[in-house]
Amino acid sequence: MAIRVNPKIIDDLAVYGAEDVQLCYHCGNCSAVCPHADEFNVFPRKPMRNLQMGLEKKLERSLEPWLCYYCGQCSEQCPRGAEPGETMMSLRRWLTSRYDVTGLSRLFYRSWKAEMIAILVLALLTGVAFFLFGMLRGDIHVYSGPGAFLPSSAVHLFDWSMAGVLAALLFVNSLHMWRLVFGSKDGPKPNLFMYLKHLPQLPWHFLTQNRFRTCQERNGLWLIHLLLVASYLTMLVLIMFFLPTMQSGPEIRWTVHTFGYAASIGLIGATIFMLHGRLKKTRTQFQHSHKSDWLFLIMLVYVALTGVLQHIAHRAGFPVAANLVYIMHMMGVVPMLVLEVPFSKWSHLAYRPLAMYLAAVQRDALLGRSSQGGEILAPRRIA
Amino acid sequence: MKAKIGVYICHCGSNIAKIVDCEAVREYISTLPEVAIARTYKYMCSNPGQDLIVQDIKEHGLQRVVVAACSPRMHERTFRAALQAAGLNPYMFEMANIREQCSWVHDDPQAATEKAKALAQAAVRRVVHHEALEQMTVDMCPNTLVIGAGIAGLTATLELAEAGQKVFLLEKQDHLGGNLARVDLTAPYLDSARDLLIERITRVRSSGNIELLLNSRLQQLQGYVGNFTATLSRTGHDGPGTGKIREIQVGNVIVCTGYREFAAERVTHFGYGKLPDVITSFDFEKMLQAGRIECCDGTIPKYAAIIHCVGSRSAEFHGYCSRVCCMTALKYVHEIKSAVPSCYVSDLYIDMHAFGKGHEDFYRRTSEVKTMFLMFGKGDHPIIRSAGPKDDCKMLIEVNEQLSGELIEIPADLVILMVGMEAQEDAMETARLVNISQDKEGWFIESHPKLDPVATTTDGIFIAGTCVAPKDIPDTVAQARAAAARILARIAKGKIAVDAVYAEISDDACSGCRICNELCPYSAIEYDDKKKRSHVISAMCKACGACVAACPSGAIKGRHFTDQQILAQIEGVLR
Repeated sequence: MAIRVNPKIIDDLAVYGAEDVQLCYHCGNCSAVCPHADEFNVFPRKPMRNLQMGLEKKLERSLEPWLCYYCGQCSEQCPRGAEPGETMMSLRRWLTSRYDVTGLSRLFYRSWKAEMIAILVLALLTGVAFFLFGMLRGDIHVYSGPGAFLPSSAVHLFDWSMAGVLAALLFVNSLHMWRLVFGSKDGPKPNLFMYLKHLPQLPWHFLTQNRFRTCQERNGLWLIHLLLVASYLTMLVLIMFFLPTMQSGPEIRWTVHTFGYAASIGLIGATIFMLHGRLKKTRTQFQHSHKSDWLFLIMLVYVALTGVLQHIAHRAGFPVAANLVYIMHMMGVVPMLVLEVPFSKWSHLAYRPLAMYLAAVQRDALLGRSSQGGEILAPRRIA
Repeated sequence: MKAKIGVYICHCGSNIAKIVDCEAVREYISTLPEVAIARTYKYMCSNPGQDLIVQDIKEHGLQRVVVAACSPRMHERTFRAALQAAGLNPYMFEMANIREQCSWVHDDPQAATEKAKALAQAAVRRVVHHEALEQMTVDMCPNTLVIGAGIAGLTATLELAEAGQKVFLLEKQDHLGGNLARVDLTAPYLDSARDLLIERITRVRSSGNIELLLNSRLQQLQGYVGNFTATLSRTGHDGPGTGKIREIQVGNVIVCTGYREFAAERVTHFGYGKLPDVITSFDFEKMLQAGRIECCDGTIPKYAAIIHCVGSRSAEFHGYCSRVCCMTALKYVHEIKSAVPSCYVSDLYIDMHAFGKGHEDFYRRTSEVKTMFLMFGKGDHPIIRSAGPKDDCKMLIEVNEQLSGELIEIPADLVILMVGMEAQEDAMETARLVNISQDKEGWFIESHPKLDPVATTTDGIFIAGTCVAPKDIPDTVAQARAAAARILARIAKGKIAVDAVYAEISDDACSGCRICNELCPYSAIEYDDKKKRSHVISAMCKACGACVAACPSGAIKGRHFTDQQILAQIEGVLR
């Protein structure tokens, strides 16, 4: 049965950043140079072809974009300037919006104005809510302890609820991703054993980004990415479990704050490195920046700096300033997390490890099918 | 009197000397009684090598010369010139080919040396019987007949006329411009075909040296290079002068009869003629010239598809590539995209041939306007069918796409078939009239495909443009100008030399049986009704020898290939 092409997809993807795909004439240099492409996942060439031909369904169920860490070798080798690396990046954005069941992701990726409005509305709501809450219940001259303007117990509760909602959204979207990958009638059907066998891959890839390491020989970005992830996770643990200690003071609690300082340095350092790279276009993967990339980095810097600032204000004995900066900090944190985690760039924290896990499962399912005497599905690599 | 012969054995660097013992050949040859002098030399064709011959002729009074070296095709003219420079008749020369026919094809040095001796001896035996021959010259009529007024014919005509020569421009249709007049823009620079033609047509019409013969055909061409008589007739239905016959005198003829488009009806799987929105590239050109791209019902297409190689590069129709269709297809993409920017264009090709100047760049620019390029396999052609009522398109094209390996279905409202070029339907008649040959596809054959691409095997008949093979405008124009330049050079000389080697018929021995008349591949033999004898038009004879061998009366003699010469040569080989 012939697959119907959708010629309009190419225009759609251009909005997500893939503007040069049609220049590709399929020499295959990109896939040859890619350290991650193999006989099961021939990328970037194959996804590029599917995109050129508008094979929407094939793209939708493809895991390949997530297996790419954008080392940029493919784009450098491309004789046509078709930017395969950037195309894979754009496909990740497109897939993120496809996985999202609410449709918000698509709206935000396609409209920079809509995203800005969402950020502003969320920030304003957060600001007003926290301010009113503080004015009603606490004293703006108190930062921590009894009668605090924003008591850590209340913020803690808020953090946990938000985390719950976001995790649920991300989980639903991840389920959708799984359905897209294995949902087609003619696709491979893995059994339970295959799913269980590869389960350890999820935490392994989540914590180490080990696959990125093989690109690292070339650009060292893996280390910076690892630093960033470690800093995030440290900060997450501190906020979710040690918030009361974090917020207490004014004396410094070295057992907890040491981690906080390290994480802050890691976060700010890595983010500034990325911002500088994108501004100066120092690397292949920094040549093209989608609006969503800038927004993400700017919000990160803002959140990290306001976090540091409230800490300093509190320790320096300016509780009013500390409280106000705290509200400003939350006005950054809430939109950033609400927008980025389920709907935008940050969702890759779930999709990437999940894709690698599903790719391993899919490979087993394909091998199982071909050993049953069915057609050979993947071309063999020539030894 | 015993002939004084000089024999020169060439080493050809090591080409000959590495297998043939040249010194042994020299020693053997110098024992022959007629040989006055025998030498070996590293490169006989070099200036010192030729000087050796000239000096020996002058010092030793040599009367005949043999060079044992490469093929006469390579250097016979070189050595004949050396003889002439030394005051000898150039035909008192014979070449023994001990390279292509000996050293290059054998690996046993001893046997090869023996063969070289035999070949050299044969040449010596033959040259003894050579006669001094004189080259003839004939007058060159400065008028030229150009057949076909497409871009090739117009260009050649202008080139000749603007050099001050009289040109008869013959065109079977009632207008100038040929196939190019049916084209809108040209690839890869998207300039107008009309602009290219109008300027030329205006110059042709205003030139005093050009006689324009529209609605006219060639009926007969008689004579030989420099002296042709062309019989022309007026065609057309009931216009003035229909059927009128006219004779003109010309020295040369350029055939620029062009191509005709492949008939798309012959390919059944594309539904041409059944699906109204499947059209050929020429139908589309008409649409472009009219200024509106539309489907048969007047709607603007949302999806357009272009299919390459229709009739070309297929086992069923023509095996060759029509050369211009790939770039024309890319041109269509640009024309569609500029007229209907919202239209999605897919381009279905077998291979993208972007070989010319600016073509690769043009291909790239076509990619930049987001063309969906799809590759199909030779012999695995796309299939077009009508779409269903739910589809947002009129047709669906099913194709086994090669770069992805997927069987896909493409929406299309308008399908353009890139029909190839084929030889004109009257190409065979034209070839017969002017006595030139056609290849298996019907294209006219050049004298040499690389080194002599505008001349033919018939002296005085030149070919240019797409009647030779499919080609684009720059190549056509270059060929037309080359043909004109060749003719201008001949006209400038005023006379034309005819080789002294040709067949002669003895009036006394000829029985008038006319066997040779039909046999001659160059139409060089005429029958004289009054004398009841055949005679050879020496200017047209190529000395192939067919008539000499065929004549039952032994009345025909091949000059420079007499029985005596050939038999002596055979005796020499056999020793």
